[in-house]
Amino acid sequence: MKWNVWFGQVVEENGKLIPKKSKNLVESFKNASNPQPLPFSLPEIGARVFGSVEEYYKTLRKTALRVTSEKVERELRREDRYVILLLKALDKLNESINMLEEKLRDIEEVKISETTKEFEKEIEELKRLRRKIEKEIEDVITKIAPNLTEIAGAVIAARLLEKAGSLERLAFLPASKIQILGAEKSLYKALARMRRGRPAKTPKHGIIFIHPFIRTLPKRKRGKMARFMAAKLAIGAKLDYFKGELDESLAEAVRKKYEELRREKEKPKQRENDKKDKKRQKRK
Amino acid sequence: MKEIIHNVFLIEREGKEILATKSRYGSHYGERKIGEFREWIPSRSKLAAMFLKGHIVDIKPNWKVLYLGAASGTTVSHLADIVDEGIIYAVEYSAKPFAKFLQLAEERRNIIPLLEDASTPWKFNGIVEKVDLIYQDIAQKNQIEIFFANADMFLKKDGEGLIMVKARSIDSTAEPEVVFERVIEELKSRFKVIAHGSLEPFHKDHIFVHVKKTK
Repeated sequence: MKWNVWFGQVVEENGKLIPKKSKNLVESFKNASNPQPLPFSLPEIGARVFGSVEEYYKTLRKTALRVTSEKVERELRREDRYVILLLKALDKLNESINMLEEKLRDIEEVKISETTKEFEKEIEELKRLRRKIEKEIEDVITKIAPNLTEIAGAVIAARLLEKAGSLERLAFLPASKIQILGAEKSLYKALARMRRGRPAKTPKHGIIFIHPFIRTLPKRKRGKMARFMAAKLAIGAKLDYFKGELDESLAEAVRKKYEELRREKEKPKQRENDKKDKKRQKRK
Repeated sequence: MKEIIHNVFLIEREGKEILATKSRYGSHYGERKIGEFREWIPSRSKLAAMFLKGHIVDIKPNWKVLYLGAASGTTVSHLADIVDEGIIYAVEYSAKPFAKFLQLAEERRNIIPLLEDASTPWKFNGIVEKVDLIYQDIAQKNQIEIFFANADMFLKKDGEGLIMVKARSIDSTAEPEVVFERVIEELKSRFKVIAHGSLEPFHKDHIFVHVKKTK
């Protein structure tokens, strides 16, 4: 038997356990994996390698600190970039799958053959890949942006990240910008109209529109909900970037607001405004 | 002033009784330093909340602890004050809070930091030794399954477990009471449940479960 431990290996020879120290502790630390519980005490055997239990722990701690800080640094640098690129690849993949399926249907209408069957199999393979990428995006975004994910879900959180370009940039965006991320076209159209002195409404929501809390509300209430959610997302993005810990009260507040808006009856005053709106439109 | 367990005190402060640990070190997460004590804030740490709710677990100074879900080290910093002759293996899978945690680990000699996923204990089985206590605060759907996997790998015979459960992370649609009952039943199938209780008002819809390995 042989076990991979952080300081090297432990080998069983003639019923005796013999520790073998590795030349590169950082390497062996990273590979210290065993499927079954160890049948021996690590510090006891390790003390034989390092001379004493104190020395064992001292070296273990030093190695753990070194490996972990390297890992932390690497993860922090790369993960948001990784999600964004995965998301972009996913979009292209979706396009390709749709396009290929269309072509396949065209061919199959004429003739089904061995070739079309293989074609179909390959498309299935691509769909499997798509599921894998989606899962990966979800895993990583939950890790690097727990607050955004808790409030808006993995898909919207990843889209916001993509639009902003990085977690850092997203953290510095004001809520009003987050609210309309993804609706730039209609925003600038509205702004252009306003500049020319014509009446125009700025969009109520961009990417976050696909969130069920917004989509399922009546039109009139969507703006309110979107504004509220964007405000919480702005706080969440800052927490994710600077602290990285989940604050449940944010998502809780959004849920509450939604319940509130859903139950709330339309006020008579609003209805009057409605009438005025209609009149104004007629006049136009 | 009253010592509840090793290095954990209830101290009088401006007419109020507060929880604190005796510590040679400075403030880690913005808690007050009162003489040689560090205030232990129950709304920040579930372990502190559990103590204040009256369930005292006699954590010995020489215990080896496996801590799953160390985050930025709020609770670990106090636990490290308690097990001042022991070792804490602190596991966390998210890099961001761990960056802050590393400052703590640099300073304390009894903390071994591990950036790993608690649900894959075999990946650090070769670093972590057999422990007296597994503390778990990971807010994951299958957290009990994860606890079992780690206990099988690392918990000593007669070792103990402290599990902090958030109802919403297990099942966000069911009533918290129902979720808690299910969790306790699941734990009972393999462990002796010594105690369990709510952490309100410090942590909403959270409970602690204290278990012991018997076989």
